[in-house]
Amino acid sequence: MATRAARKAKKATRKPASHRTWALGYLAVAAVIFVVYQYALPWEGLPLPIYDFLQLWLPPTSINEALVYVICALGLNVVVGYAGLLDLGYVAFWAIGGYSAGWFMSNFFEQWNVHGLASVAATEPGIHINFWLVLVIGGVICAFFGVVIGAPTLRLKSDYLALVTLGFGEIIPQIFFNGEDINGFNLSNGTKGITRLDPIPTGVKDLGPFDFGSKFVIFVLLAALMVFISLQLRRGRLGRAWLAIREDELAASMMGVPLMRTKLASYAVGAVAGGIGGVAFATHVDGVYAERFNFSISIFLLAMVVLGGMGNVWGVILGAFILSWINSTGLPALGDTFNTQFGTNIDFPSFTFLLFGLVLILMILFKREGLIPESRLRMVLHEGDADEELKPAQLKPADGEGNK
Amino acid sequence: MTQAAVEKVAVRQYKGTPGQIRRRRIELTAGVVLGSLAMVWIVINIINSPTQFAQVFILGFRNGLLYALIALGYTLVYGIIELINFAHGDLFMLGALFASYFITVWFGQEKSNLAGWLTFLAALIAAMAFCGGLNILIERFAYRRLRRAPKIAPLITAVGVSFILQFVGIKWNGSTPRNWPKVLPQSEFTVLGVNVAWNTVILLLVAVPLLLLLTWVVTKTRQGKAMRATAQDQDAARLMGIDVNRTISFTFAIGGALAGAAGLLYQQTTGTTNYNLGFQLGLIAFTSAVLGGIGNLNGAVLGAVLIGIIQGLNDGLPIALGQKWSQTVVFTILILIMVFKPAGLLGKSTTEKV
Amino acid sequence: MTLSNELVLDASNISVQFGGLLAVNDVSFNIPKKSVVSLIGPNGAGKTTFFNVLTGLYKPSEGKVMFGDREITDLPPHKIASIGLARTFQNIRLFGLMTAEENLLVAMHSHLKSGIASTILRTSRQRKEEKEALESAREILDFVGIGKWASEYARNLSYGDQRRLEVARALALKPEILLLDEPTAGMNPQESGVFVDFVHRVRDARDVAILLIEHDMSVVMSVSERITVLDRGEKIAEGSPEEIRSNQRVIEAYLGKAASEGRGK
Repeated sequence: MATRAARKAKKATRKPASHRTWALGYLAVAAVIFVVYQYALPWEGLPLPIYDFLQLWLPPTSINEALVYVICALGLNVVVGYAGLLDLGYVAFWAIGGYSAGWFMSNFFEQWNVHGLASVAATEPGIHINFWLVLVIGGVICAFFGVVIGAPTLRLKSDYLALVTLGFGEIIPQIFFNGEDINGFNLSNGTKGITRLDPIPTGVKDLGPFDFGSKFVIFVLLAALMVFISLQLRRGRLGRAWLAIREDELAASMMGVPLMRTKLASYAVGAVAGGIGGVAFATHVDGVYAERFNFSISIFLLAMVVLGGMGNVWGVILGAFILSWINSTGLPALGDTFNTQFGTNIDFPSFTFLLFGLVLILMILFKREGLIPESRLRMVLHEGDADEELKPAQLKPADGEGNK
Repeated sequence: MTQAAVEKVAVRQYKGTPGQIRRRRIELTAGVVLGSLAMVWIVINIINSPTQFAQVFILGFRNGLLYALIALGYTLVYGIIELINFAHGDLFMLGALFASYFITVWFGQEKSNLAGWLTFLAALIAAMAFCGGLNILIERFAYRRLRRAPKIAPLITAVGVSFILQFVGIKWNGSTPRNWPKVLPQSEFTVLGVNVAWNTVILLLVAVPLLLLLTWVVTKTRQGKAMRATAQDQDAARLMGIDVNRTISFTFAIGGALAGAAGLLYQQTTGTTNYNLGFQLGLIAFTSAVLGGIGNLNGAVLGAVLIGIIQGLNDGLPIALGQKWSQTVVFTILILIMVFKPAGLLGKSTTEKV
Repeated sequence: MTLSNELVLDASNISVQFGGLLAVNDVSFNIPKKSVVSLIGPNGAGKTTFFNVLTGLYKPSEGKVMFGDREITDLPPHKIASIGLARTFQNIRLFGLMTAEENLLVAMHSHLKSGIASTILRTSRQRKEEKEALESAREILDFVGIGKWASEYARNLSYGDQRRLEVARALALKPEILLLDEPTAGMNPQESGVFVDFVHRVRDARDVAILLIEHDMSVVMSVSERITVLDRGEKIAEGSPEEIRSNQRVIEAYLGKAASEGRGK
């Protein structure tokens, strides 16, 4: 009994693998993926079985899509993982980001003609702004909406906040869905969506929708940016303030932490990530389609953060990759293989809801800290469990209250 | 009053009297303004098309009763363990599915005759039992362990349960809406030039007794008293000898049963089922519960009827935003209430701490 | 000992009403600079409520609170904390999952200036600021005597050390007033004695006024320069320890038993 407690104590307080190790690990994996897809896949000498296997189980589209989810999950991680605020409407920022790309990188607003370092000819109608600038613009617009949505709502308790964010997560996509005719103004082209976006200028080559390899590099850079921002903020006073709020909001405010401002900051940072992800995704599918933005995306992202470990960027990346891949490729591919093998006709992709639901429930019930827990999180999330085991050995005299 | 109770009350009145007075005044003004605007809109529509208004109003009222049955489930559960059971709407959806299978597939009833009506009554009992039982299981396996965990945990679990129930709905119902024959009379009768469907009356005849039954259970029975005690202070209730686990299970059972009844009524009045029914109507029902004051049973009914009417008017009247904005309207109401008056219409004024 | 005439906190005619209950009834109270004053009274007397009014958690139904020459009655808690009113909690409310020094760094939040941009870019100014903050935190931890636990998770500290950490964290706010809410709860007489010396040390070295809410009469009597007694929401006495000890009304209210116990200790 004593050694078990001691072992748990040791495990709970041992230093996790350093950030550098993780970063290098992921970069190495990214480099391998890039080499495989940019050079190995198009090579004629590649044996057909390997080619087929890769195309079935790891097509480049699914990898890039997974990266978009990674970017957004990292943003949600700041809100849910760092500050402990449950946001169920994150898809709203994804949508706003996407439409930013649609508005500023296509012929959509053909009634105007604005060009800003664009990658298309100056004669093209519409607003055409450089992709890299649009990333910034999309981020700024999302940050603005993050503040607008957050200002009245972040002072609500956690369950109310969840519902209100859910509400926004429904209203904003619905506005886009109905947006073909808002008092005569076409905001979003409704269900028809906005298609054919400008290529991405890179100084070397303009990237279109099929330049998976190069886009992969860009998406990896964007993800790395989000990781960098997350970790830097986490180290500074804002990250400490978020952790304090997550643990004990009242004590934090009594120690001088301005609650509203700090929560808004987390919301805004998260929103920026959503915007960037939205822009990236729009270039990935070469368009913005209203019906793609729905509540389940918010939940997918939440599941990714929960699976990966709330507050741990490396875990969240892993969680996002796994779940995104399963949803887009894993289940369909598994279904095809299974069905051809056994002659059955089971609709595997329809199991997505079951899968994500189970992930959420099982992780919360049994491994709340995620696959790769942030070591301290394991301690707070298991507080008050009905069947709580021995905590790490603590040398406290018997006292009435103990700490919180 | 114990120190703890005093503190609890005090924190609720964080804004203090001068601020409180100002706030109440602003709320009153805003309420009056909104109310007047709404009145103007209603009057315009009444003048424009009186019969249509009456029909739409009645329809909205009927839907409101339906929402009330679902909203009560939310408010009962929130009142007792302060958890928003996200999965409750999906329970309603499964209740509708269950009812449709019960009546049409298992008992093969398709016509509105005596056999059909008897099956309807049997289905009512069965659906209530089914949903009540399912809710008990959900509480037992998904939520009970998390009762003292940080709030974010059971919220996430509830979302997970919702997804799983929707999955069951997809598998059982298919991913597209399905139509079912109705065993309730389909005809209408006319009153003062207004068409009223018979099944509206039937819905009233089922819903109102259920609501009265619920009121009786909560106020007059021992279990009801146990529920109210547990809702106020779980630990004190436990010390008084109340079996808290059983009381909470009982609460979930009642909430589930009402959702089941709502499911049957929905399915028989509209004749359709769809796997994401729960999500749509669940949010509407939850908004109703919040509008009326979460934790307050009368408030849930009042809020539901109001929302039903508002939604009905919006969808059906010629001078309105129309059905495609229906959800936005309801969600906007939800957000406005939560931001400005989280206590709802009948709830106590609980100002949130910053 | 004579108290300074300069007041660092002045609360006048504070009343707090909850529904039908008048928890605090027209209480006026001030804290002179660099003094050590106590607030005592039987359970339910309204001490914690009053305390919470001072720190901004509750707003009084009537009355106002002045901090120096600035009115703080309507300010939010974090603002009051940042201008120099720090408190500890009756039930320790440390950030258990943060290390001791991180707890202090959180309290320094309002005194640090780096924004989002400078934190992300890790400008030299931000780095300097963090370094200085860390040094300051270490210094405070050493001062209260738990310097060696600086990198330990707060939750793992012993009870006594947690109490010290709470005080250290409050000190990190660079306060002019330190409000201690039942700081010796759970301590034995020897620990309480050590604590009394600690309070004096804090007052002298950190140039703060200290307000104590306490039940342990021996601590109150030995550390306070002035004692204020509340009973059922009203101030019934105020004066030096000797005056209070012999005040009939106070003794009636509750001191009777405790006073003789205190003398016996």
